[in-house]
Amino acid sequence: MDQKFAVGDKNGVLQCLSIKDEEPVVQFKTLPGKPITSVHLACAMGTQADKIFTASGNEVKGYTRKGKVFLSIETALTETITSMCIIGSDLILCSGRTVTYYRDLREYNSYVCDDRVLDIAAFANTRIRLLVLVANKGAVLLENGKLISRTVISSGPSRLAVPPSTHVTDIVAFYGAGDGSIGIISYEELTLSSKCLVDGRGLGSVVCLGWYFSNGNYHLSVGRHDGSIQLYLMDMEHFGEKPRLKYTYFCGEPVTSVTGGCVGTEESELLVATFSGRVFALRSSHLVTGAKVPQDILTARRGKLEVEVARLEKQTANEREKYQRNTRSLHAGLSTPPLLDIQYELLGALSDGWQEVRITSAVPLDMLFIYCSKKLEMQTDTAAVLSICSSKETGSDLLASVRCQAGTRRVWVKMRDSSDSPTESKFEGKRVLIYALPVGAPRVARLVTLKLPALPYYSGHVATEKNFENPERVWCQLEIAGSFSVAEMTSWLTEALPGELPRPASNVSFTRSHTLLETVLICQYQRGSATFKSDNVSTIATIRNIVSNCSVEKSIRVEISCDIPDSCCLRSFKNLESKFKAEYQKNKDIILKKAISMLDLDSSMNEEGPLLCQDYARVWDSRDSINETQFDELVETVVQWYSDWRALSVHENYSNVTSKLRSALTECRLDDVCKILSSNSSSLKEY
Amino acid sequence: MQLSTVQPVFKLELNHKVTPDVVTIAKYDGTHPCLTASAGYDKIIIHHPHGGIASGRAQRSQAHGEVSELNLSQAIIALAAGPLRPDSGRDMLLIGSPTQILAYDVHDNTDLFFKEAPDGVNVIITGYFGKYTETLAIIGGNSSVQAVNWEGNEVFWNVVSGKVCAMITFDFDKDGENELLIGCDDSFIRVLKNNQFIAEIAETGPILCLSPVNEVRFAYGLANGTIGIYEEGIRLWRVKSKQNALALQWSGETLACCWSNGRVDWREGTTGIVLRRIQMRANAAAMLLADYRSVGAPDLVCVSDKGEVLGYPPYQENTGFNTASKNMPSEEDRLAITELFNQKQALMVELQHYEANAASGSASVESLERPASAMPTNTRLQVAILHTADEGNIHLAVSTNNDTIVRAALVLAEGIFENGETLVRHPLPSQLRSLLHVPLKPPRDVPVDVHIKALIGYPDSEQFHIFELTKQLPRFAMYQLINKEIRNKGNSYVTFRITERVQRICIWINQNFLLEEELDLETEETKELHINLLCLRDHSFLCMDFGPDGHVKFSTHDIRLAGDLIQSLAVYLNLSDLQNLH
Repeated sequence: MDQKFAVGDKNGVLQCLSIKDEEPVVQFKTLPGKPITSVHLACAMGTQADKIFTASGNEVKGYTRKGKVFLSIETALTETITSMCIIGSDLILCSGRTVTYYRDLREYNSYVCDDRVLDIAAFANTRIRLLVLVANKGAVLLENGKLISRTVISSGPSRLAVPPSTHVTDIVAFYGAGDGSIGIISYEELTLSSKCLVDGRGLGSVVCLGWYFSNGNYHLSVGRHDGSIQLYLMDMEHFGEKPRLKYTYFCGEPVTSVTGGCVGTEESELLVATFSGRVFALRSSHLVTGAKVPQDILTARRGKLEVEVARLEKQTANEREKYQRNTRSLHAGLSTPPLLDIQYELLGALSDGWQEVRITSAVPLDMLFIYCSKKLEMQTDTAAVLSICSSKETGSDLLASVRCQAGTRRVWVKMRDSSDSPTESKFEGKRVLIYALPVGAPRVARLVTLKLPALPYYSGHVATEKNFENPERVWCQLEIAGSFSVAEMTSWLTEALPGELPRPASNVSFTRSHTLLETVLICQYQRGSATFKSDNVSTIATIRNIVSNCSVEKSIRVEISCDIPDSCCLRSFKNLESKFKAEYQKNKDIILKKAISMLDLDSSMNEEGPLLCQDYARVWDSRDSINETQFDELVETVVQWYSDWRALSVHENYSNVTSKLRSALTECRLDDVCKILSSNSSSLKEY
Repeated sequence: MQLSTVQPVFKLELNHKVTPDVVTIAKYDGTHPCLTASAGYDKIIIHHPHGGIASGRAQRSQAHGEVSELNLSQAIIALAAGPLRPDSGRDMLLIGSPTQILAYDVHDNTDLFFKEAPDGVNVIITGYFGKYTETLAIIGGNSSVQAVNWEGNEVFWNVVSGKVCAMITFDFDKDGENELLIGCDDSFIRVLKNNQFIAEIAETGPILCLSPVNEVRFAYGLANGTIGIYEEGIRLWRVKSKQNALALQWSGETLACCWSNGRVDWREGTTGIVLRRIQMRANAAAMLLADYRSVGAPDLVCVSDKGEVLGYPPYQENTGFNTASKNMPSEEDRLAITELFNQKQALMVELQHYEANAASGSASVESLERPASAMPTNTRLQVAILHTADEGNIHLAVSTNNDTIVRAALVLAEGIFENGETLVRHPLPSQLRSLLHVPLKPPRDVPVDVHIKALIGYPDSEQFHIFELTKQLPRFAMYQLINKEIRNKGNSYVTFRITERVQRICIWINQNFLLEEELDLETEETKELHINLLCLRDHSFLCMDFGPDGHVKFSTHDIRLAGDLIQSLAVYLNLSDLQNLH
């Protein structure tokens, strides 16, 4: 059976193609329009799925297999449709935060989620139920426009894949997440629950999921942002079983779509579409040699392409010359090259404090040039050379260039605050300008502007309810009142918090957690008033600074009041204590490791290894695993807590107490630390 | 490129750590090569697979049966070996410690000589050069080279203006006699002939390795990751890596390069294109050429710092990585088709760019709605070089010819910036103009190619046009012509006599100095020339007087500058001897 496939692209063109002797044959092709964001196959109940539906902007179109438009609707949705679902004559569209249900092309019901809707799956038996992935919140299950269950998934799932053969009554789907992990969401006994099946472990974030069927087995195919395509063998009887990784392929650029099929041969294939617009298929390796395409056809095809490329080269050379001539003409026209196709993403910091920027380009990159008004520490890909450039003027700014290897289309750069300026008060995020320079034509550099938030660690999303009752935490509270809108508050908070914030709504509430300290920040705001709660006094101090700074800039009057409990530093430190001790030990081990390494012990290469006392031997044996410690950072954090607490509640600062605190911390004299932190203002005189 | 699957022809473990770069291979009995390396601070290991060394100071290693250990009580800095004794074909081992050299006959277990090296020891090689017919041990120190014969007597000695990092003997001027090529940490490769430096090649970083290729070519590697090949003093090619090259060897008509991270690649000799590459399991310690298998042709012997030794035969094309595609022509076609698709896509992107221009060509410049990436089509970039005496440097003035602004300028050049190879200027939003000054301060007087990438657009643009230009800074760019009469304090000068018309000297000055306008003689009959220049580095003066009788006087307090000037002038006028008057 010869299958065809349909691809929708950024220019709004839908193409239906088939493959003959490894060569694509266009079945039909539409005119360009708004970018196509979703392509679906569907059918009337019981027949073969041969209708193609596309979503672009706020429109949905239906095409027959011959390419004839049989349906075209312009919805009243204000935002771009991000995903859709078709069941019989029912159409479910997601755009922004809303899920809208159309029955017979009439709006039937809709539901507004807490945050952007990322993906949707419909389960139809007697009742139609929708499983919806909501950004930063997890998943919800909807029925008739009403929420029936929800679950929180911290790994940030972004894609759903429904197993192709389930029992009609089951509600179960696999998800792929932003951190690279894969898991399962299921609805059993009236509760929605999720379970992680494959850990992310440094794999790229999942962009797309699909099914690949071969030898009677179902494989979940996973396309990732780092260019890898993986096949996991799934146990169709027991969905909760750990999938087995069968195959990995790297294609070098983000994968935008994967799906199984058999377009080229009789055998099953995996079709892949990528960011730069390539479409290719992977076949089981023992079949590659088996599937013989006549040599002459290949050669003919190569010849045809060569001719075409030569023609294009000539045409391009002509155009290039015309363009060059223009630069010398007296009548200046305007040169308006289209924006370079560059995608970028700034990730929130994990526990090591690095914030990663991923840049993906459709054309190979020559170099990146990075500017920031403040000094930053930086790292980059192994495929690129980072050099910090000398800048003459003030010395407080950062200029860096990242030169890429030939053919680089993806590059990441990690940044974090420079360690020599640790605990200055932060009043705004840091603006980072990245100029991306491609290798060849067009000779233009795209400017990407990023904002590094002041509190990069708050990238963990947690459910709000859970943290209110926790008696371990003592809350510092910040109340803000004034004539600001929700949108304004959201934009102020982008200076402070990483990742995307919830879209403005009448009432916004979310919770973030600190990836290193595990402290929590609860934000609740509406028009004219906002409340922030945290068990980290420095966080409250930073938000207070930022809000007051931003409101002054916008000349909006705000009233700010803080409620800082006296015991906040001590309680927070108690929560941190075990981590602090562990890091202290690690720090000591690293110092010891350095000293032992200098002895050049392994030069003797005795079989039993060097003779050391137990403590040293332990450090020596684990020398490869202990590398980095956040001890200094923890010390600075606690000192900052103390000085922020003093600044906010006592309004004065004894620098000698701070230095005493710092020395007690670095020497890990925990009793002294507690004494200093618990002392209130009156008893401070003793120190 | 993918790693090659080529397999080594032999592989062994020394079971000792190996100090990088302190490795040699020698035939102590005159026939069988033995790998010799420093294994830690003061220990030497000798691998002798062809039968042991009977006795003596060397002790059998416990970690490996075919390895002997030799302990010295001093740190080992360098190892070399060669047939020093004229009466024997056996290799003698030369051991360099920080201040001493020991020549040791491993086979007879006797010391040949022991010599103090007060200038330090960095590199030792053995070889013959110039008029010397016997094999010499040549020692590179911190600021000198010296050569000693087999009895330890000094044969020659000379000063070098830097720490010696690499040396080879090589017939540089093709007169049938070897010269000594010395690579120093001051970024020069110098050629020593008859105790005189006859040539000086300016490179862009400390020279780490030198290796002969054939009669006219030699390869070099720098501390900044550059490797390349010179042919008759002209660079054929160079490539740059993040790693440093540890060793270069010419093997099987290819240049094998061993990088410090354990990667070895084989490169085409005339272009530097990588033909294949392998990765060792640990960082590299050495790569040498030796007939370790006794097959009659030298193999490439790669040693890792963990003591793994891999041997590769000379490169042959059919052992390359693409043997698979040879078997399957259809696979080759498939690869070609994929490549053609990539080309097609790149061309389409470029065409799209021009099409968008054509579409907007009708839009007038004055229109208020300016797209985020627009700019007038006749924008051009101009670059000028100016002296700024008060700042003590020169400025690249980068400007556009209309109201567009220079958002940023990236200047790429080697060897003129304190760190790295890029200087960037990114003015604050309030200081954006159509003119941008980039200060440059070349630390030494060498000609430099300066590549400029300028981003041109409007202050609020989201996309900028890249303009690229290359300028060559003349050798003596840091000297500004001044018109007023000056006299140098202190009477440091150099004088000599040449028989050359001033007109030609005028051309030399125009070529090698940065002048606002070309120097022109008033009349054809002018016989003398006096010019005064200001050095921007230290604000000292340089006076050059070319008298009517061929008498030349350069007045400067900087002896190096005087030497550079004479060198440059002599090369230009093709002089080999110069009579120095004072």
